[in-house]
Amino acid sequence: MTFGSATDPAHAHRGPARVPATSPASMDTAAGMDTAAGMDTAAGMARSDTAIWTRGLSKRYGARRAVDHLDLQVPRGALSGFVGPNGAGKSTTLRMLLGLIRPSAGHGHVLGEPITEPDRYLHRVGAMIEGPTFHPGLSGRRNLDQLAILRGIGGWQRARRARRVEEVLEQVGLGKRADDRFSSYSLGMKQRLGIAAALLPDPCLLILDEPTNGLDPAGIREIRALLGQLAGAGMTVFVSSHLLTEVEQICDHLVMINNGRMLFQGHVTDLLAAEDPRILMIPEHDADARRLAGLLDDEGLRVEIDLCSGPPDASATRGRRPVVTAHAPEGLAAHLNRLAMRAGITLRSLRTQRPNLEETFLRVTGEIDGDLVRSAQAAQAPDGSVPPPAGAGLDPAHSRGGAT
Amino acid sequence: MITAFRAEWVPLLRPRFLLGTLGAVVACAVLGTVLTFFSVGHQDFDGDPVTAAALSRPDGLIQGVEAVSILLGVVALSVVAASLAGDHSHGTLRNQLVAQPHRARLLAGKLLALATFVVVVVAAATIVSVGLSFLLAPTRGVSTAGWSGWAGLAELGTGFVNLCLGSLGYAAIGALAAILLRGPAAAIAVALAYALPVEMLISRIYHPARSWLPVQLMQEIATGGAAYAMPYADALLRGVLYAGVMVLLALVIFRRRDMTA
Ligand SMILES: Nc1ncnc2c1ncn2[C@@H]1O[C@H](COP(=O)(O)OP(=O)(O)OP(=O)(O)O)[C@@H](O)[C@H]1O
Ligand SMILES: [Mg+2]
Repeated sequence: MTFGSATDPAHAHRGPARVPATSPASMDTAAGMDTAAGMDTAAGMARSDTAIWTRGLSKRYGARRAVDHLDLQVPRGALSGFVGPNGAGKSTTLRMLLGLIRPSAGHGHVLGEPITEPDRYLHRVGAMIEGPTFHPGLSGRRNLDQLAILRGIGGWQRARRARRVEEVLEQVGLGKRADDRFSSYSLGMKQRLGIAAALLPDPCLLILDEPTNGLDPAGIREIRALLGQLAGAGMTVFVSSHLLTEVEQICDHLVMINNGRMLFQGHVTDLLAAEDPRILMIPEHDADARRLAGLLDDEGLRVEIDLCSGPPDASATRGRRPVVTAHAPEGLAAHLNRLAMRAGITLRSLRTQRPNLEETFLRVTGEIDGDLVRSAQAAQAPDGSVPPPAGAGLDPAHSRGGAT
Repeated sequence: MITAFRAEWVPLLRPRFLLGTLGAVVACAVLGTVLTFFSVGHQDFDGDPVTAAALSRPDGLIQGVEAVSILLGVVALSVVAASLAGDHSHGTLRNQLVAQPHRARLLAGKLLALATFVVVVVAAATIVSVGLSFLLAPTRGVSTAGWSGWAGLAELGTGFVNLCLGSLGYAAIGALAAILLRGPAAAIAVALAYALPVEMLISRIYHPARSWLPVQLMQEIATGGAAYAMPYADALLRGVLYAGVMVLLALVIFRRRDMTA
């Protein structure tokens, strides 16, 4: 992986401390490895311990594979994030889980019931798929009322139903505007109503498709708190989002897909642990950069020099400086500083860069450094099913979703 | 199904929609009744003379609203098509399907609610027309003596049932169009285009087709078999068969289809 645009390949020293990177081929095998033995043990554990469990779940639209052999395993009681670029197949997957569309292949269980029989489990599931959709001519309250009647909440007792509707309206902070027509709501208010509708049945499993879309920062924080609170109370929450910082902050479990295929599933920390932390150093004198790199290489670290593009904060004021990047944990920063000082190299800047979900996501889904990889793969796979890029930094175990 | 039935009444009872629909049918009823009574001494659409004596018969009371049975049918078709297709286009259907995943029950409940709504609408039109008939009768020399009493009530009852059946037949066409086309504008436009110009043309060009075309049959039922020579019982049987097949088709499609709305 390069950092910046013009890494000098001659100086990209690679030490022993390398995170295992998988080739597209090995990644494919891992994702699609449904050997009978592996599946049976997984299945035995899965149906009781997981809220969502699928094997080979696929959906084709003509020649396009919207979802391609997805083996989901979302543990019960987890706050699980579902991420992937636009068109990755998230909404399609969620629709299949809710019985709205039929899978082209594969099977799955939600709350222990087969997805072919949605009426067996949907009374315990609350969901909002692809944005809030309500009757524009009815108030928020009446819209919820309709869904509450449909779910049989409160039976024939209007007061009990009204109480539940009021509760969820308060929960999402829509109490004051509940009697306005849905068409008069702002985007954020519509979104809140969608979440309220999902909460209506007091579900065991909450499935939300981009619930924070259109919310203001305070709203996002409120929803984050709400989801955390719900998961804390034992509800399983499966939430798709493009706000990766949010996902990283609130989700303990993560499913990452691209082009309908699984890239990763497991604990967020496991994903980030597979990413290496880095220490970025800028020597005071540009000429010292190569000497510093050599020094670090001798320490057995993997080092890269980016000769002309410094980090954005530095380049803003001082122009472009060579940056020496050592793949090393934060704890080594002081040691590296001492090392440089002993060799007579003064550092003008030293900062650590912890792996974060956003960067990992962009790299894994091929949005960074991915152009070459993507065009090469497009040639390989004419059906559009692009395997994850090489060097994704994920080891095969992670992509099989065992870590729950 | 009962929950789906009750839930469907929530959007049907929103004031704007309810008042709009009732306003439309009441206007139709007023138009039909006024024109019927004003045509005393003239000829009707089919060229038959309209006389005060004919209107004084027990079935005279229902003539006013029967005259606009097509309009009632059009309203029924539009209301059903707009409601069902609106669920698709607003995306509310996917919320409803998560709340009630049993698709056949959901649609059956909706159809039942819509059918009840159509009956209510026809009842409103009939009541207005009956009231207006009593008001207008003396001005055109029509005797109301035959309207009251058992014979009059019986004619009123059968007339009302026939109007309901005919309108429900139109509604079935609207339902099928909505399920097939999934957009209110498209569903209403296509269903109306078929029901009015297409069938009318076919039956004009080839007369016997009248006894087999669904909308012609619905019309025949609505007017109690008055429009042309065909036994009412036959029309009723065929009409019910058509409506049944259309509803069944809608149910089958609705059950099987991917909900991508
Ligand atoms: N009804 C449909 N007909 C044809 N193709 C479809 C249909 N629905 C989805 N697709 C295709 O399936 C793929 C996945 O779509 P999906 O909506 O699941 O993506 P997503 O991950 O939810 O994206 P986003 O983040 O933009 O919401 C896309 O390529 C889309 O074009
Ligand atoms: Mg989506």
